[in-house]
Amino acid sequence: MESLPLSEPVLLILMSLAGQPRHGYSILKDVERMSNGRVVLSTGTLYGAIRRLLEDDWIERFDERDASRGRQAYCLTAHGRRNLQLEVDRMKHLTRLATLRAATKES
Amino acid sequence: MLNAYQLLLRLYPAAYRAEFGEEMIALFEDVRADVDHTTVAARAVFYVREIAGLVSGALRENLHFRFNAPDVSFFPRRFTMRNGFRFPKATPILMAIILAGVILAIRRGEVIATSLPPFSQPVTPIHPPHSYLLPGVFEGFIFFYAAGLIGWAIVFALRRSGVHRLTDVSSGSK
Repeated sequence: MESLPLSEPVLLILMSLAGQPRHGYSILKDVERMSNGRVVLSTGTLYGAIRRLLEDDWIERFDERDASRGRQAYCLTAHGRRNLQLEVDRMKHLTRLATLRAATKES
Repeated sequence: MLNAYQLLLRLYPAAYRAEFGEEMIALFEDVRADVDHTTVAARAVFYVREIAGLVSGALRENLHFRFNAPDVSFFPRRFTMRNGFRFPKATPILMAIILAGVILAIRRGEVIATSLPPFSQPVTPIHPPHSYLLPGVFEGFIFFYAAGLIGWAIVFALRRSGVHRLTDVSSGSK
């Protein structure tokens, strides 16, 4: 089971699937775009993460009508979306706290 | 390269291959098509990243499927996930020179072996180089892989211990 805090690649994969169902290639490109080219997943790394997220019921297979062979799409489950929101809330809290502390130090 | 990818994919457990193998191959072909139009260095980084990702993924999945082990990473994330990793530009050239040297040495050895005068008494036949070349390459890969992991673990342990910070502090206080 993935626990919070999430690793950056897993967080980016979940963020990528939050907007719409995507297949592997689309996830890779979206992760690269969101991280400004800093995180580039290999196929082995991506499918390792997908296997874990499927097992933990954070994502599920999405049936596309025009899905071609070898291009399975995935989407977030309600459980995965809830955990992503928890992680975002945790990060918001940290960011707010860090901003406050930094401002206190400056003043 | 697709054949090499499929070969490495065989390192994964059969159940994993049945579930994701086809998708992984299709994705690899898509990404490779993108990389084909880039520089040699970018292609080298892509192939190294794919091989590293596959080997570490295969180890992780085998441990998971066979022993239900928790997921672990065998490569530093910087190496398998980030494009911040940089090859020195001379690396592919040096690798090509070394490979050419090895091939020439094997060829030269074969020529010398065939040009020697025949012995009058029967001798033990020499095995052709290719019969032990592949196992040798495999053993070399395992050796350097293990050596790299140990080296990385030492560097990682030193960094976690904060030794480098002590150096920074002492140099900064001067």
